[in-house]
Amino acid sequence: MSETQATNQQAVIERVPGHSAMQLKDVAVSFNGRVAVRDATFDIAKNRVTSLIGPSGSGKTTLLRALNRLHDLTPGAKVSGQILLEGTDIYRGDVTVTELRTRVGMVFQRPNPFPTMSIYDNVVSGLRFNGIKKKSLLDEAAETSLRSAALWDSVETRLKVAASNLSGGEQQRLCIARALAMDPEVLLMDEPTSALDPIATLKIEELMTTLKERVTIVIVTHNMQQAARISDDCAFLLMGEDRAGELIEFDTTEKIFNNPNDPRTLDYTLGRFG
Amino acid sequence: MIEESVSDLAIHGQVVEEFGSSTTSRTWYHYVLLAACVVFAAVSVGFVGSILQKSLPTWLHHPATVITGSGWQSPTGPFGGLAMIVGTLETSLIALVIAVLIGLGTSISIVFFIPRRLRNIVATLVELLAAVPSIVYGLWGYLVLAPWMYKSVDPWLNSWPFARTLFGDPSQQYGPSLLLAAIVLGVMILPTFVAISREVIAVVPQDLIEASLSLGATRWQVIRKVVLPTSRIGLFGATFLALARATGETVAVALIAGGVAKVQFHLLDPGTSIASWIATEFGEAQGNEISALMALGVLLMLLSFSLSLVSRWLVSRQRKVLAKV
Repeated sequence: MSETQATNQQAVIERVPGHSAMQLKDVAVSFNGRVAVRDATFDIAKNRVTSLIGPSGSGKTTLLRALNRLHDLTPGAKVSGQILLEGTDIYRGDVTVTELRTRVGMVFQRPNPFPTMSIYDNVVSGLRFNGIKKKSLLDEAAETSLRSAALWDSVETRLKVAASNLSGGEQQRLCIARALAMDPEVLLMDEPTSALDPIATLKIEELMTTLKERVTIVIVTHNMQQAARISDDCAFLLMGEDRAGELIEFDTTEKIFNNPNDPRTLDYTLGRFG
Repeated sequence: MIEESVSDLAIHGQVVEEFGSSTTSRTWYHYVLLAACVVFAAVSVGFVGSILQKSLPTWLHHPATVITGSGWQSPTGPFGGLAMIVGTLETSLIALVIAVLIGLGTSISIVFFIPRRLRNIVATLVELLAAVPSIVYGLWGYLVLAPWMYKSVDPWLNSWPFARTLFGDPSQQYGPSLLLAAIVLGVMILPTFVAISREVIAVVPQDLIEASLSLGATRWQVIRKVVLPTSRIGLFGATFLALARATGETVAVALIAGGVAKVQFHLLDPGTSIASWIATEFGEAQGNEISALMALGVLLMLLSFSLSLVSRWLVSRQRKVLAKV
């Protein structure tokens, strides 16, 4: 606890109100009528890192996946409430889901580069999905995104090599580069370091701190120190009586970890349960 | 701590010793198992050996005829196997094209487009179809498909431009044909191909699919650019297994190919295959003909060995691809 407090005291940044990348209004997700998460109302501030924390089953990942409509795939899944991206409800009928996903990218728990593609092809895969064929554009995007993901220097000479030859940490940074190549406004990260060793984790965390200059980051993490170290804002979720996750508290990470409004938040961040 | 592990080792050693050197138990189960293994080895060697031995006269005296000769003069010879080899290849490859085209579409639909509740039912039905004995397919081909093709499909095919080049002279046609055999074979190996390719496609990790969707891919792009390339090697494996089943198929082809030992490039003409020729000829064969049939059997054996070796190799390579993911 003393560690997290120390980290947070160094990283106090005031929130800028009214400058949101995404806004959640009373969002609930249910599967075949069974509510998985509800009551999620908060703003995801631009160019900041927002973390979603809470014990297993509290609906963090479910909520995250609602933000780029990945639940569209799941039969019986229903998202209610409003999720606004730059003021537009992403579930509105005239929103193209493929376009939305180019604006709200995602990095997954397990490093998952496409196994049959080279490093280069992985990075530009999103651009190719969206019909960009011009080599100069692809080359430029590949270099820029790999540089942003701090991977360019180590892969510059072997871009045509299969992505599976990279280490786990490098693969995850490749996945970040792949998402960045689409130049998204928001990057969703679902426990991006849970499959990585501590050093690779540290690199990804450092990367997130620099990346937020250009992209808003929402991260689900089980690791409270990680949430404290890297996030600016924090949403705490908890499983309710009826086994549905709900938002308990949303505030700056500093407030959530040091002086939360709800006693349950304090209990959780102090490690008293979960 | 050290003492503890030492005592652990001691106990472990003792257990191993008891298990390994208890002479009473070793005598009977050890030798029973060994005997089973020896019997199996003897049967296998005897089986392959006797086929090779019986076919030896042909390999010694007419090695070229049995592979490249056409015409099978019973009982004097020559016994040319070219018609059977060509017939096997023609029917199997056409069947394979039919099965792969329809089967791939089916597998993709089962995995991605059919509602989850129906999915398992359909998958089980497909596997049941794969287990139907081939005589049933042959019977269906002979009694249902053949008359219908002869009455309705063949005249239509014969009306195509260049039909004679592809299908042959209508006056030579009487129902059974290589094309009919190929279609029945295709129907027969379709469930085999679907059962395997469905599994290969279904094990493509979900997060790869989600990753591509998250990059703005459409469903079709996900299938074409991610799912099929990722499962490519396994799909080739499924193809080779289906081909192995088609080349070895005997009774269905014997019923519907026509049983004519002639190299046929006209698909509506009657022909034969290695397996079905052996099945229909062996009863009355004597002397050199037996040896020639055995030689055909050796060829068929080599063909199916190599096809299943290739498909095994492909399936294990697919596992490695997925292990790297």
